Amino acid sequence: MLTKKQNLLETINGGNPDRFVKQYEYMDIILEAPKRVRPIKGETILNEWGITYSWPEDQLGAFPVHDDEHRVLKDITKWKEVVKVPSVEFPDDVWAPAIEHANAVDRDDKYVTVFYASGTFEMTHMLMGMEDAMMGLYEEPEYMHELIECLTDYEIRYAEQIIEKIKPNALFHHDDWGGQIATFLSPDMFKEFYLEPYKRAYKFWKDNGIELIVHHSDSYAATLVPDMIEMGIDVWQGVMTTNNTPELIKQYGPQISFMGELDSGPLDVKDWSKDAIYEAVEKACTTCGKEYFIPCLTQGLGFSSFPGVYDCANEAIDEMSKKMF
Amino acid sequence: MAKIEEVKANVEKGKAKLVPGLVQEALDEGSAAGDILQTMVDGMGVVGEKFSTGTIFVPEMLMAAKAMAKGVEVIKPLLAGEASNNLGTCIIGTVKGDLHDIGKNLVSMMVESAGFTMVDLGVDVSTEKFIEAIKANENVTLVACSGLLTTTMPAMKDTVEALKACELNGFKVIVGGAPVTEEFANEIGADGYAPDAGTAAVKAKELVTAA
Repeated sequence: MLTKKQNLLETINGGNPDRFVKQYEYMDIILEAPKRVRPIKGETILNEWGITYSWPEDQLGAFPVHDDEHRVLKDITKWKEVVKVPSVEFPDDVWAPAIEHANAVDRDDKYVTVFYASGTFEMTHMLMGMEDAMMGLYEEPEYMHELIECLTDYEIRYAEQIIEKIKPNALFHHDDWGGQIATFLSPDMFKEFYLEPYKRAYKFWKDNGIELIVHHSDSYAATLVPDMIEMGIDVWQGVMTTNNTPELIKQYGPQISFMGELDSGPLDVKDWSKDAIYEAVEKACTTCGKEYFIPCLTQGLGFSSFPGVYDCANEAIDEMSKKMF
Repeated sequence: MAKIEEVKANVEKGKAKLVPGLVQEALDEGSAAGDILQTMVDGMGVVGEKFSTGTIFVPEMLMAAKAMAKGVEVIKPLLAGEASNNLGTCIIGTVKGDLHDIGKNLVSMMVESAGFTMVDLGVDVSTEKFIEAIKANENVTLVACSGLLTTTMPAMKDTVEALKACELNGFKVIVGGAPVTEEFANEIGADGYAPDAGTAAVKAKELVTAA
């Protein structure tokens, strides 16, 4: 039986996997590493970028607060004065739990994985609000390019630190680039603003020991796949059924792999159904096949919002492995 | 090309800096303020269609809405008292338990562009707040409920049911958001459903003018 890592490599390289890769099993994500400060449920905080984040009790996650009082950047032309880039250097005791976790991972079996969120695109709208971040691309493109470069530099400085501390093998990088049925930006605009910065950041990670880049965007983003490949993404996690993943696999399979097809929206619900999950997994596995595909809930970490959903999906994937391998 | 046609073309292109000047030139040419407003509404209709079909994306739609808003600023003083393009007031909000606002904001802009006066209640809006807003505002012809989360679909159902059951009338209810389908909208008793912001503007106008 192949190790989780070997099985992943066989899957994404079009070799001979002996089972389906089961969701996030090949990544050991070092969540203890210092990262963006986020509130816990019930809290409202000011994070290290000055962004006010709130997680109301009755919500599934945290949201940036973007009213006039709280939005960090109200005028993109003044970003250099307003945006205070936080330090990426942390004392040893802050790093210690992450180092301990990374050292305990069996690297033959799993990738020691950095979690990086939010990505550059998301950071622009976290700072500015979605409307201003989008219109800024038309109204003040030079300033937007500058801000994006600054955010990319920040990511690279963080990468330097974490690579030195935990010597990771993989990167799990969040940046949502679309909604359910469309990308936020046209492919041309995405290319103009985000392709080169992402190429620069991902090249740095890969030049410094990262063997595998997994990018999360739980959205439609089929039209951005050529850019994902050019950036150096190995696995697109979060691919929703709206993307026609079987076609993407046929078209791009050897160059990138697709992880998702189990839409968390309808499956990860309070009154979740085992039958619905088994049906979705069977459909995903039979239509997408064994190569360049990892069945996975589209949620951006290895758990579900409602207890039992993630484990049920794992069981269903095991069943499909028995049937198809 | 007559200036009024240039106004429409430049709203469609989202030329927010050019449109106010073109509107003034159209007025100087003798076009009526109401006609200029209508041509901008028509331009936004084209923008909505292009968004629905995936020809343009969120930034282009936002820029078009901004261009129209800048144009409206120029003619607003001249439109005082004119009600020809006023489709009434639309109360909009994301339903209780849901903090997503991007889709709701896009719909708000497009519906406003179609000729409604918007009252945006924001996110996490309770049924009571929707009803209070209908009472507090004049000529409410439409209530628009948005929701992104599957988990808040029951809240949308509760809201629509409460709006339909309350003693107030004279308005239609439209719903939308990622998990919402036409079937769900029908099931919960909404008058209309739209899958995206462009369609929402068209549907909103249809619902109100058919009333």
